Amino acid sequence: MDSAAPLAWLIPVLPLAGACLVGLGLISFNRTINRLRKPIAVFLISCVGASAVLSYTILAQQLAGAGATELLFNWASAGTFNLEMGFRVDPLGAVMLALVTTIALLVMVYSDGYMAHDQGYVRFFTYLALFSSSMLGLIISPNLLEIYVFWELVGMCSYLLVGFWYDRDAAANAAQKAFVVNRVGDFGLLLGILGLFWATGSFGFEEIGSRLQEAVAGGSLPNAAAILLCLLVFMGPMAKSAQFPLHVWLPDAMEGPTPISALIHAATMVAAGVFLVARLQPVYAPFPQVQLVIAVVGTITLVLGASIALTQMDLKKGLAYSTVSQLGYMMLAMGCGAPVAGMFHLVTHAFFKAMLFLGSGSVIHAMEEVVGHEPVLAQDMRLMGGLRKFMPVTAGTFLIGCVAISGIPPLAGFWSKDEILGQAFGSFPILWLAGFITAGMTAFYMFRLYFLTFEGQFRGNDSAIQATLLAAAGKAPAGDGSHRAGQHASQPHESGWQMAMPLVVLAVPSVLIGLLGTPWNSRFASLLDPEEAAEMAAHFSWGEFLPLAGASVAVSLVGIGLAVAAYALHKLDLGQVVAARFPALNAFLANKWYLDDINDKLFVQGSRKLARQVLEVDSKVVDGVVNLTGLITLGSGEGLKYFETGRAQFYALIVFGGVIALVALFSVLG
Amino acid sequence: MFVDFTLSQGATVLATLTPLVLGLQGSGLEPSGLQAFPWLSASILFPIAAALLIPFIPDPGDGKTIRWYALGIALATFLLTVGGYLNGYDPAVEGLQLVERVSWLPNLGLAWSVGADGLSMPLILLTSFITALAVLAAWPVTFKPRLFYFLILAMAGGQIAVFAVQDMLLFFLAWELELLPVYLLLAIWGAKKRQYAATKFILYTAGGSVFILLAALAMAFYGGGAPTFEFTALMAKNFPEKFQLLCYAGLLIAFGVKLPIVPLHTWLPDAHGEATAPVHMLLAGILLKMGGYALLRFNVQLLPEAHAHFAPLLVVLGVVNIIYAALTSFAQRNLKRKIAYSSISHMGFVLIGIGSFSPLGTSGAMLQMVSHGLIGASLFFLVGATYDRTHTLQLDEMGGVGQKMRKMFALWTICSLASLALPGMSGFVSELMVFVGFATSEAYSLTFRIVMSVLAAVGVILTPIYLLSMLREIFFGKENAELAAHNQLVDAEPREIYIISCLLVPIIGIGLYPRILTDSYRASIEALVQRETLALAKVIHPPTPGLIRLSPMAELLPPGRLQAPALIG
Repeated sequence: MDSAAPLAWLIPVLPLAGACLVGLGLISFNRTINRLRKPIAVFLISCVGASAVLSYTILAQQLAGAGATELLFNWASAGTFNLEMGFRVDPLGAVMLALVTTIALLVMVYSDGYMAHDQGYVRFFTYLALFSSSMLGLIISPNLLEIYVFWELVGMCSYLLVGFWYDRDAAANAAQKAFVVNRVGDFGLLLGILGLFWATGSFGFEEIGSRLQEAVAGGSLPNAAAILLCLLVFMGPMAKSAQFPLHVWLPDAMEGPTPISALIHAATMVAAGVFLVARLQPVYAPFPQVQLVIAVVGTITLVLGASIALTQMDLKKGLAYSTVSQLGYMMLAMGCGAPVAGMFHLVTHAFFKAMLFLGSGSVIHAMEEVVGHEPVLAQDMRLMGGLRKFMPVTAGTFLIGCVAISGIPPLAGFWSKDEILGQAFGSFPILWLAGFITAGMTAFYMFRLYFLTFEGQFRGNDSAIQATLLAAAGKAPAGDGSHRAGQHASQPHESGWQMAMPLVVLAVPSVLIGLLGTPWNSRFASLLDPEEAAEMAAHFSWGEFLPLAGASVAVSLVGIGLAVAAYALHKLDLGQVVAARFPALNAFLANKWYLDDINDKLFVQGSRKLARQVLEVDSKVVDGVVNLTGLITLGSGEGLKYFETGRAQFYALIVFGGVIALVALFSVLG
Repeated sequence: MFVDFTLSQGATVLATLTPLVLGLQGSGLEPSGLQAFPWLSASILFPIAAALLIPFIPDPGDGKTIRWYALGIALATFLLTVGGYLNGYDPAVEGLQLVERVSWLPNLGLAWSVGADGLSMPLILLTSFITALAVLAAWPVTFKPRLFYFLILAMAGGQIAVFAVQDMLLFFLAWELELLPVYLLLAIWGAKKRQYAATKFILYTAGGSVFILLAALAMAFYGGGAPTFEFTALMAKNFPEKFQLLCYAGLLIAFGVKLPIVPLHTWLPDAHGEATAPVHMLLAGILLKMGGYALLRFNVQLLPEAHAHFAPLLVVLGVVNIIYAALTSFAQRNLKRKIAYSSISHMGFVLIGIGSFSPLGTSGAMLQMVSHGLIGASLFFLVGATYDRTHTLQLDEMGGVGQKMRKMFALWTICSLASLALPGMSGFVSELMVFVGFATSEAYSLTFRIVMSVLAAVGVILTPIYLLSMLREIFFGKENAELAAHNQLVDAEPREIYIISCLLVPIIGIGLYPRILTDSYRASIEALVQRETLALAKVIHPPTPGLIRLSPMAELLPPGRLQAPALIG
């Protein structure tokens, strides 16, 4: 079979073509296109499906040992500079291609059910295809510059999709916040790329890496400058992968439709930062200080995400903070110099977190039948409970997800998380300790989510809780009781096959994919980095593996046990035992470490105030001087008269005539 | 296929033009090269002559015939410029092409001398393109249509002349002549404060242009002998450094008003804030570019040694433009003024690019002018179209408009994203080229480059803040009940979608493959940068290590490292 690599450009182009076609149709023949719901969904799904087929072909060829391929063309040039674009196919990219197309495809099928009653159905699918295209483009980018291009494009898609329900104020704010916070990261990324280009004359990963090292070794570039450039570039992944302190946008981004949260804000786009750091390993590896910073940022993030997730009552927000925490684990792996471990966790996490989010979407969809389309009610776990009876498929897959993320063998999360913790133990024992404790917290909050949502009694019809929740959110109760009873069901129902099928499909890799990365025979590592895989297998010993693995399983079991005691058996009232005794800690967590408040006070209000002051200066001082000059020249009172009576035209003509006369005068004199 | 199409179109235009050209010959203005069709003179004189015929067009009074006539003329002018580009312009040549020269007033040294090189050709095409779209955008204008279209067409001729003429006195005349239509368009069709805005505009620009005249005369008479105003002749003169500095400063003020450079910008929010949509498109799309073009043409090309001294100032002013205008735009509550300030902010990149001493940066400045011409025009058109529906420009009085105006929302979003330099659109490429060009420029010290790049990159954060806040306040959220009750919020009509699509095609085309544009002026820009680099070497000799100038850092790096190697593996 011929190599499919030269056709890799088709992978992002196919969904893009589909999205453009439908997008043009939406603008020119809005009504007609909006009526063609199913045909368009099928069309766009087959576009992404074709990409998926190509991606799997490429992955299979990479597995069979095909080498990396790179194709470039000259994109912009001036003088001696040539900016080149193109694409590259290598094992890392092939894995990501397969991952992204799989999840995108499943999410699209799922969306057919989830968005069935939404007016913006066609628009939603168009955005999804557009996003898939940008994300796939990012993966096959051969250099930093092209990564930056697609980096921005996925950011744009995220903006469009978070703000999808644009009549909601919260969605509007969240979309803007997501874009602006990401731009803060891009600010660093752009400067870092520029700096690296200045220092090395290249945008390619390997070239930058080797030349940067040469330059530092040769003394032409101070070590500190090189580190600074590396860290500037790291700002981009920090924002995109929601690392502290630029993580603030991700929980808010849950305002978008839930399939989006699964695809973009859990499985693919937020992982782009981790992916970029993996790509940049040749650049980062020679600088231990950079690695340390990455590891520390990752650790802070994983602790922060998990600790905030402990107190969240909103199902999706809980999952969002869990994502933040898991991204922290991946970053920690990158910082420990173990990109393979980080990428492996990225892959396993993508499957089970996408499944968890889609499961939460299924729950929310069911809850909306009972409490109406009000996110404050439909996503709050205080109104859920006992859903297992109504929706067994969702509950079952959600439970599998919880076990997987908690790190119980042999499910996927165990293998990948354990590998990261093992690497951290070797590199930074203190950071390992933080990651280890967080593993326990992870197990606790995930099972807390599960028990609150699926076990116990269904509380959805409790109007007292509803009223409290609405009041807390500052919203008026939506209509009277009769209206509610008339329109809504009293019980939730299991979702249709479009939504259940992806859940079941995703459950398979969530259980099994970890087995591809067992430390004694890691097929995943041998694809990405055969040398490291051989080394890992050679150095593997049960004596080292079992104590560490056993410890992390134990801490997970403690977390699960706590959750069972508190939320399933109700033996333990955490509200009294912990929250009442440590009110400061509880408030600290409930207020998300006060980071949103600081952000608002310092940056949002600060920038608004600064802008107002500058405008004040502009209109009073700069323009004031102009107007004053105008008044003086025209003779104060007379000038005003000119402005108001329209004789200014006459004045202008005099000015013009004067200028002409001046020309004539000079010509005569000359 | 494309060429065939335009050729046949060109032939019909040619047929309509023949009497005009004959008329010119009759009056003694004989083009020197009769073997070639005078594309540029035709592009300048055809719209003006056609505008003069407007009073004789039979029209029932509602302006319907006239607007079709004007549209036809504008399209014909566009085709003329395209014809010139395809038939007489070779992008690989760095010097002047399509040259026509007729002695006009020999005593004064004045000649009808037009020509185009890489600096002017893209802008000539941009001018005729935007003018045609502006005429289409002016469809709803019913007040004094004859005068309106007369002025628009006359202005088109004047603007093409500004970019095409190769004689400094002629340039000055064109520059001044183009002011009058703008002034009248502002003063007659503007909003409430139109008189104030129009007067401010003309005082500012006329005040600035006095410096052009003085500099032109000084340069023409320098060195004795018969005065000559032609660019080629002026380029050949070797002005002493002091003289260059003086002329440069004067010209910088004149063009700084036009571009505009903070703090000479305050005419722009007023003028833009009061203008109607089509005028607005022309102001943002073309008028601002006259400033950037003139800076390249005169300050850099004619006075390179002074430019070597002044360039750091240009970079600093560019950064000030970017940040200052972005902040004021953020605080503005009036939609038109917000976009007007955003134009100022975007022009900052042109300044940095011009001062960058690198082919990539200067090329980026050129691209930014064209790109902003397209993006700015599209945004201003959308502002006008929105105002037609909401009858207010105050953001506080809008909100939730997206419920009823979905297509409008989509168009706004696309154009705003283009304006905030989203990759895949032209704005991104131009800003990136300026950044890369400046950051790798060897003319400045490392510290200066770092500080300026970091500050300019702050604009990368500020731009989405004000543009996305604007979108949020107009379209997102619950519908503003009062607004919806008093206004008919109808969605975009086909004509409006068509105009925006016409602008988006080049925006996205350049964004995807910038060489379709950059290759058309590459040779000229490279020659220009070579000229300024030579001048820089002359001025900075012996090298003075300083805070801004060439640093030891650049010397430390082996020269090979600063070159971009071929990336093909």
